[in-house]
Amino acid sequence: MIGPLLRSSIRHLLRHPWQFGLAVLGVALGVAVIVSIDLANASATRAFSLSSEAVTGRATHQVIGGPEGLPDEAFRRLVLETDLPAAPAVEGYVRVPSGKSGKPGRMLHLLGIDPFSERPFRPYLSGGTEASREGSSIDLAPLLTRPGAGVLSATTAGEIGLKTGGSFSVRVGGGVRTIELVGVLEPADESTRSALSDLLVMDIAAAQEILGRVGRIDHIDLIAESDAQLSQAQAVLPAGAQILRSSARTETSEEMTKAFRLNLTALSLLALVCGVFLIYNTMVFSVVQRRTLIGTLRALGVTRGQVFALVLGEAAVVALLGTAAGLGAGVLLARELVRLVTQTINDLYFVLSVRELAVPAGVLIKGGAIGIGATLAAALAPAIEATRAAPRAAQIRSALEARLRRVLPRVTLAGAVLLAAGAGLLAFPGLVVSFAGLFSVILGSALLAPGATVLFMNLLRPVMGAMFGILGRMAAGGVVASLSRTAVAIAALVIAVSATIGIGVMIDSFRGTVVRWMESTLRSDVYLARPGRAGGFSGGDLDPEVALRSGRLPGVERVNLLRRAEVPSPDGPVRMVVLGTDLAGLSGYELKEGRPGEAWPAFQERDAVVVSEPFAHRHGIGAGDVFRLRTAKGERDFSVAGVYYDYASDLGLVLMSRKTYLRHWRDRPLTGFSVDLEPGADLEGTIRRLRSAVGGEGLSIQSNQALKKISMEIFDRTFQITSVLRLLSGLVAFIGVLSALMALQLERARELGVLRANGLTPGQVWHLVTSQTGLMGLAAGLLSIPVGLALAAIMIFVINRRSFGWTIRMEVDPMILLGAMTLAWGAALLAGIYPAWKMARTSPALALREE
Amino acid sequence: MSFWSFACREPDHLPQASLSVAGALRGESSAGYARAIEPREFRFPEDHGPHPEFRTEWWYYTGNLSTREGRRFGFQLTFFRSAVAPSMPERSSNWATRQAYLAHFTVSDIDGGRFRSFERWSRGALGLAGSQGEPFRVWLEDWSAEGDRLHAAEDGVALDLTLQPGKLPVLQGERGLSQKSEEPGNASYYYSLTRMPASGTIRLGDERFEVSGLAWMDREWSTSSLGKDQVGWDWFALQLEDGRDLMLYQLRRSDGTADATSNGTLVGPNGESRHLGLSDFELEVVNRWESPRSGAVYPAGWRLRIPSADLDLRIEPLLPDQELDVSFRYWEGAVRVEGTSRGRGYVEMTGYSK
Repeated sequence: MIGPLLRSSIRHLLRHPWQFGLAVLGVALGVAVIVSIDLANASATRAFSLSSEAVTGRATHQVIGGPEGLPDEAFRRLVLETDLPAAPAVEGYVRVPSGKSGKPGRMLHLLGIDPFSERPFRPYLSGGTEASREGSSIDLAPLLTRPGAGVLSATTAGEIGLKTGGSFSVRVGGGVRTIELVGVLEPADESTRSALSDLLVMDIAAAQEILGRVGRIDHIDLIAESDAQLSQAQAVLPAGAQILRSSARTETSEEMTKAFRLNLTALSLLALVCGVFLIYNTMVFSVVQRRTLIGTLRALGVTRGQVFALVLGEAAVVALLGTAAGLGAGVLLARELVRLVTQTINDLYFVLSVRELAVPAGVLIKGGAIGIGATLAAALAPAIEATRAAPRAAQIRSALEARLRRVLPRVTLAGAVLLAAGAGLLAFPGLVVSFAGLFSVILGSALLAPGATVLFMNLLRPVMGAMFGILGRMAAGGVVASLSRTAVAIAALVIAVSATIGIGVMIDSFRGTVVRWMESTLRSDVYLARPGRAGGFSGGDLDPEVALRSGRLPGVERVNLLRRAEVPSPDGPVRMVVLGTDLAGLSGYELKEGRPGEAWPAFQERDAVVVSEPFAHRHGIGAGDVFRLRTAKGERDFSVAGVYYDYASDLGLVLMSRKTYLRHWRDRPLTGFSVDLEPGADLEGTIRRLRSAVGGEGLSIQSNQALKKISMEIFDRTFQITSVLRLLSGLVAFIGVLSALMALQLERARELGVLRANGLTPGQVWHLVTSQTGLMGLAAGLLSIPVGLALAAIMIFVINRRSFGWTIRMEVDPMILLGAMTLAWGAALLAGIYPAWKMARTSPALALREE
Repeated sequence: MSFWSFACREPDHLPQASLSVAGALRGESSAGYARAIEPREFRFPEDHGPHPEFRTEWWYYTGNLSTREGRRFGFQLTFFRSAVAPSMPERSSNWATRQAYLAHFTVSDIDGGRFRSFERWSRGALGLAGSQGEPFRVWLEDWSAEGDRLHAAEDGVALDLTLQPGKLPVLQGERGLSQKSEEPGNASYYYSLTRMPASGTIRLGDERFEVSGLAWMDREWSTSSLGKDQVGWDWFALQLEDGRDLMLYQLRRSDGTADATSNGTLVGPNGESRHLGLSDFELEVVNRWESPRSGAVYPAGWRLRIPSADLDLRIEPLLPDQELDVSFRYWEGAVRVEGTSRGRGYVEMTGYSK
């Protein structure tokens, strides 16, 4: 019996190419989204660990200083007074202008090293193996003695278009410097090549000069074998220095981006869930369509097992084709996504350049397994369904519909239970549990969809009747009558559309919150800053005298001094914003915890800090707690006077007054300052005066408006990837609706034939079909709104809060809801066009003869 | 992929273990540096300090020591200064320098049968390494020759010695101008303190030894020296029990013959010195040793005859393996002298390791 069975299966697939093709497309899209996000994440992580390996080398530990770095002297003492191998490094970023205006150009990671100390540390720099002695060598003389001399990997040099002996300009801080390429590194192997990509290696002297860090070292690498050696080292280091394990660097970066990456993964899963529903829908449908055939086969002696195998076999074909296509598309899509992911990491966390897509087999295997597994799982229920019916009963469609109506209350109940379970899960802490809760809510909503549809159609039937007469009532009634097929389609549609609503509302609310926050926080009229070692948090150094000079200009009421610094703490580096301003200048910061009347005076006068909401979240502290930082004089406790709302960084920030800061750190320079104008002062005129007064300092000068605009551009950029995922979910939804409804209508050929034979005109058929699909779209769209809003609320109040710790005010833009409705309804209408056109054209006799 | 291989530009005395490096060095332009063209007036103690206008310079201490009980040791502590460029623009970083320093430290534990060698590099900046004439000091990190004291320690091996001047400085070659090949300027300024009574301690792991004996110091500075065909050299510094000291080097040509500029100096018990030309001595290799590390085959026993001084000497390494396992491998070790006169000394051989 296998032969004829297989043939019947193939014939079925061939007769419904649209249905089959769209199911494959659905799987492919779901898999592609998952795989591409995974690949983008993997590539970013790999690029980071390679570049940090390139910098860390074989060091076991790293000495870092406070915000002022380490003095040169620290290295000398380590070398002379301990027996640990030590290598100093100065790091920064420089930008190679692209030549084309508007393009940002290429960022190079500048690593200044002492070649004499390198041998035990960075093998790719120092050679040191027997074979390498004969290899190409870089002439040390120009590297040591020429200011601005550097080396690049041969690949990077080639990409920039440089040869040894050539020179190129880089932007660093506020100025332009010339780098002379005195040699190229020929990487020995592939991983070295990746590690060296975008790395500009210079002698430490030249690096200090280029970066404006003369006398300062960023870190000293150590190879320590025992704790005794470490305490020996600590003893000769200045009090502000901290010794960290080398792996801490990578760990910190992973920790920094963990929540971000988890959120991306969850969103990509959402696209897959949409895809799975699509598959489920397709498979249910193909079973329902063939119930007569299956009944006949069963009557002919085909066993349940064979029917089961038949349906699963078909699903396997869909799974294999869809997954294969999805893996391919995923890799292609990842090339785009990796750019977006990298961009966001650069905007939010640290400088990272990903030149190539890593395609680990693990990701592909995982994507493939998810694609095939999910498809087969989705086909399981329809396959069981196909085997369950008794041979004759299977032929009767009404039996099926009747049974579905009987189980409808149970399905609805299951939905309600899942919803409740989801809500319960959300009450537990932990990000993964939260996502489980989110998905449980989604599935629960999907199960509620059939019941809601029946309710909706029953309510709508009289309305439709009043508006469109018998055909209207038939359209609404038909949806309920063929619930076995419409329910799943509507559920799939609800999931997909509500996902786009949820993500849309979440982004919108976030944006609105950030806009309001900026209005309240950015109150100065003009902002001046020295663009720093690009990408670094700390920024460039600016003489405080420049700010004071600006304060004396006419029209200026006050200057607020700003220093950004990365300060070591027992829990790793902490980003700190140091403010030199008066109480009025602080009033823009809105406190979530702590009373302004007490917190700010303490902040100004005592060793108290105010921390941002994400910081409080990350470190589990609040107003009244103490927090320990490593100052230039050793570890000190600072009391937390308050927690303020902040959306600048999910890593968290610590606010400290300049007075307090200078008591504990010898770090006088500023990163920038802002200028408040006297009431009525002329903004443009003041900016002009500022420009001429401090123009030579390489400062960027921005008005309040311009700064806000730039900030929002960055915000939008960081959400680009989320928007792309939303779009992809929408696409899956659209395809789902298209395939489900189109199949549904095509299957009604006979029914419509009967209607035609009874005198329905082609125009009326057209009308009937499109209004029925339109109704389903409408139902799905309307159902999506509460579900979407619930998803948005979960993402805003649970997921984001637990991932990043910030308070977002939910706001719903009606346009998003309208857009979602349009998506659902438009897709549904579109799905009706082809079947309606086909039905209207087919002669009734032909339609009736088909079966 | 090697670089930073600090391509030793040292003309002659600085160990070069491979031909290719020696080859690479000759191409270097010596433009911009001072050259050793004619004899000069030496001044002490100023000339103990650096001569940065020349490309290369070294302070070379070797010696044979023993404990009261007769346990024998050899040591080498050498500091090399090498300019990587004749000049440098004004720089603001304290790390900027055109002077690189390299140091080698070895201890030969003759009776323990063990040879230890160490190497350090640093830049002549930030106080990490440097040299000065008055008061005399040359150092690389915490290895130093300072006043009359030598100190070096690494990996459980330590040397602390106090030296006395012994004989007056001996000017090598023609009044201190030591010609290394035919070409004018391929020469160094070279003086030695050939017999410096030394005492102090050697530490090997947990063991400390009170030692005394004789040390030898070579001072040399130059810009270029090796000729085209020269592949290496064998250098002898021998202290004889009859009070005479002998410095002798033979520059080897690629065809296996000794270069005509090979020469030596015989120093009498009271410090009077006599120049020896190539024709004044006969050097014959009587034994060889193959390094298990590099595969290089070094001479390991010589017969040296200087008829005009009534010397017929057998020279043998006190340990066969005194090859320095450093960036550029060479053999430098303590030797025993027997024959018409007995004594101790140090021998250096370069250009054998491929």
